Amino acid sequence: MSDPDRKGAADDPSADGGTAESATAGPSAAETAAAGVAGEGGGRSSNTFLGDAWVNFKRWNVKAVRNPFVLVVSLVQPVIFLVLFTEVFGNVAGRAVSDGLPGVSYETYLVPAIAIQVSLAAAVTSGIGLVNDIENGMFEKVLVSPMNRTAVFVGKTAAEVFRIAIQVSIILGLGMLLGAEIETGVVGAAAIVATGIVFSLWFVALSNSLAVLTRDQESTIIGANLLQFPLLFLSSAFLPLSTLPGWIQTFARLNPVTYGVDTARALMLDRDVMTVLEVSRFDGAMNTVVPGFAVLLGLAVGFGAVAVFLLSRASSSDVQ
Amino acid sequence: MASPGSDGPVADGSAARADGGTGAASEDAAVAVKGLELTYSDGTRAVDGVDMTVPRGEFFGFLGPNGAGKTTTIKVLATLLSPTAGEVTVNGFDVRSDPRKVRESIGYMAQETSVDPELTAAENVRFACEAYGVPRGQRADRVAELLDLVELADVADKRAEEFSGGMKKRLDAATALVHRPPLVFLDEPTTGLDPKARNRLWDYFRRINDRGTTIFLTTQYLEEADQLCDRLSVILDGEIVAEGSPAELKQEVGGEVLEVHFEDGGDARERAADIAREFDPFAGAAVEVTDDGISVTAATAREHGTDLLVALRDAGLTVTGFNVRAPTLDDVFLAITGEEVATESMDAGRAEGEV
Repeated sequence: MSDPDRKGAADDPSADGGTAESATAGPSAAETAAAGVAGEGGGRSSNTFLGDAWVNFKRWNVKAVRNPFVLVVSLVQPVIFLVLFTEVFGNVAGRAVSDGLPGVSYETYLVPAIAIQVSLAAAVTSGIGLVNDIENGMFEKVLVSPMNRTAVFVGKTAAEVFRIAIQVSIILGLGMLLGAEIETGVVGAAAIVATGIVFSLWFVALSNSLAVLTRDQESTIIGANLLQFPLLFLSSAFLPLSTLPGWIQTFARLNPVTYGVDTARALMLDRDVMTVLEVSRFDGAMNTVVPGFAVLLGLAVGFGAVAVFLLSRASSSDVQ
Repeated sequence: MASPGSDGPVADGSAARADGGTGAASEDAAVAVKGLELTYSDGTRAVDGVDMTVPRGEFFGFLGPNGAGKTTTIKVLATLLSPTAGEVTVNGFDVRSDPRKVRESIGYMAQETSVDPELTAAENVRFACEAYGVPRGQRADRVAELLDLVELADVADKRAEEFSGGMKKRLDAATALVHRPPLVFLDEPTTGLDPKARNRLWDYFRRINDRGTTIFLTTQYLEEADQLCDRLSVILDGEIVAEGSPAELKQEVGGEVLEVHFEDGGDARERAADIAREFDPFAGAAVEVTDDGISVTAATAREHGTDLLVALRDAGLTVTGFNVRAPTLDDVFLAITGEEVATESMDAGRAEGEV
């Protein structure tokens, strides 16, 4: 009654006490009660950030394994691209590639792009998982539990990133079977996986934002899929930018996929392949990898902040 | 289980509680609410000045039709919504300043069944154990114990997506109990279930309450509240309109309702009404002429209903059907507020005896 215009989440610990007496008197009574109940069952261990994240990491991994269909489908499309593009466009595109990058086969050129496509496709499922959680009540169930809400989403995202790492590794393996070569060896391969992970974060955040905004599975899938193809084709993914029309080159400069693909490709070929940013402070491939990672991390932070804002707003509902 | 404050059914809850919720009572109570208001950002005032105190160990019912503000209130108590105004403590913790402590000390079962369909029954309960910090060494026992309680031990390793609505509800109930909370919120737990599934759930709730757990249940069915609750608050349009035990609330209505149908016209119905009014066992009963017969509300309607039917037959009236039913929420609202409130009947077929 004293503060009619208190706002926002029940979470806000700074929400001050007009209730000083009950706040000081309260805990003792309540702790007695908690102890009474604990007495019959033997206490509870308090929640930790890492523990909460781990619990959710496990849950989302189990769900992923239970749903092999999703796992396979998000791999199948990129694999089809990999095979069809190398077989159908291999001759034509290979020439365009070797003009700029002598001695590089189209397979080798394409594999980093497909790795990024896998990250993109897998990131879409992150938002779908969130919508499902909202629909089947698990979202609210988690909110009402004492788990740290940030840890809940860290755990979920970690599970998705873990899956992306496995899928990118599979694509690299398949690419090598088709004749692609990773110049930088095992370390480079690991770095490409890392690129896929860092790249996926902005799209994970975007698909979760779409999920919170639409709260609808189909809208989230359609929204995220609509974005996928323009993003892939209007980038350096399938052909060198110099061979593409001017407006695509302009768009590609603003397209996160370009930075992801260029970074992965620089690691694959061990040379500076980035044409959208000219950096020459480092050595060879690092002139692509360092600015590439910087841009991707910046995107992750930016889109992540929006997703966190939308999620925390959804967690506290619209109350005056 | 002494309830503080007035015990009688009170038409105006806020006046009766003006001094009831202060001092030791509210600190000791499982739930203490004073002047709760909640306005959604679109301007809808869902809860408007609710006061209530639920002592520890009580089976408390929060009764009201759809849209009355029950779910909004329970979500404030469970820290899912932050109150616009008022003081709300749950297990002694303020929901605004100490939400984590509140969450640790309550179980919450949402109106919509909340289970992860891709996990098995055991995995759902285990996830809840982990979420609520049940010590590692006790989890296996706790999972087994709870699945046993809700009779899902046989299907512990089946995925929840294969379960019926009633099984999912039971699983949901089990996950709300993993940390043995001293207080459990149940938001319309039996809505949409068939009578058998509902009776089973009632049984679990009684057992949990018998173990000393305070239960805060919302329902739109007077019959459910009657079966389970020690005490009720009735909410309508965001305000509490009555409080008391189920028996006290039903007293407001004046007993059970006997409905008799005739095939003859209005004349016969008037005659039947006169017979019912003069019928001794129903002295003081409320008799009304309805569209196809008469309705008699009396404390003894069930015991003496057949006697009235005999009397009607002796008077040469052809009875085509009759029906003794418990007073519904509609009847209570009608008696308390004088307004008809649209509610669904819990079980239309119950206690029906067509001739």
